[in-house]
Amino acid sequence: MDAYFYIILVVGLLSTIICLTAGILKKAPNDATILSVAAVELSLLVYLVGSIVRLAGGERMAGEAWEFWGYLVTALILPLGAVYWSILERTRWSNFVLAAVGVTALVMAARMNQIWY
Amino acid sequence: MEEVQNVMAKPSRQDTGTTSGQAAVGRADTRNTGPGRLLIAVYAVFAISATARAGYQILTKFSEAPVAYLLSAFAAAVYVVATVSLAKPGRTWFKVSVAAVLVEMLGVLVVGALSVFDSVSFPHETVWSLFGRGYAFIPLLLPILGLIWLYRRRPAQLRG
Repeated sequence: MDAYFYIILVVGLLSTIICLTAGILKKAPNDATILSVAAVELSLLVYLVGSIVRLAGGERMAGEAWEFWGYLVTALILPLGAVYWSILERTRWSNFVLAAVGVTALVMAARMNQIWY
Repeated sequence: MEEVQNVMAKPSRQDTGTTSGQAAVGRADTRNTGPGRLLIAVYAVFAISATARAGYQILTKFSEAPVAYLLSAFAAAVYVVATVSLAKPGRTWFKVSVAAVLVEMLGVLVVGALSVFDSVSFPHETVWSLFGRGYAFIPLLLPILGLIWLYRRRPAQLRG
């Protein structure tokens, strides 16, 4: 597990906790929950740029390249979809959808780390 | 996944189905608002990951275990149908989602039981192996929550 994974671990868990709390408190999606998911997206983008730099620098991943990029691209789309959906329906339930993004990104980052090493 | 528990624990009525153009269809015919959104989101994640996994298995090592990998593909198809039908309003889509969720439940129970009692002929992983243990047992929980949700939002014509 590398630094990219731990960044996503911390940011993803924080985002999930923020969104779950907001959902349990019956709040509609607000700046805090949407920005926390945006932070997840940002940390995934850091992973994306970092991976491109590492490959350009001559590093090689151990697993299948297309599997790695498949996970990364899917993970990058999830926060966008969840935020778009939470804007369409502004009820507490959208916060639970947003909460799912953090843990999903975390699981996918763990899998991406396994593929890389 | 604590949020899944919340669907069961707090089926709050007031704060659901407030927005979106589907309001005109009538609340009983919509399954894509409120807790249903969360259900569809989780189903969508499973549809994507199961499709990707089955595609990968079939493309790279199909000959190793054709039955298991075809089962993976079938599971993926069931998740896709469930996701789409849960998101669509109307009675026909309601029936499709009931069928898809029932097939999913049957699948996870049968494949789960077979993988436990007859592990020799089911050595290869599918989403439903060991009752979905590789996916935190969410595959076992999803159809149960799905049926509860569908029952709560069944069309008026089917209400006794």
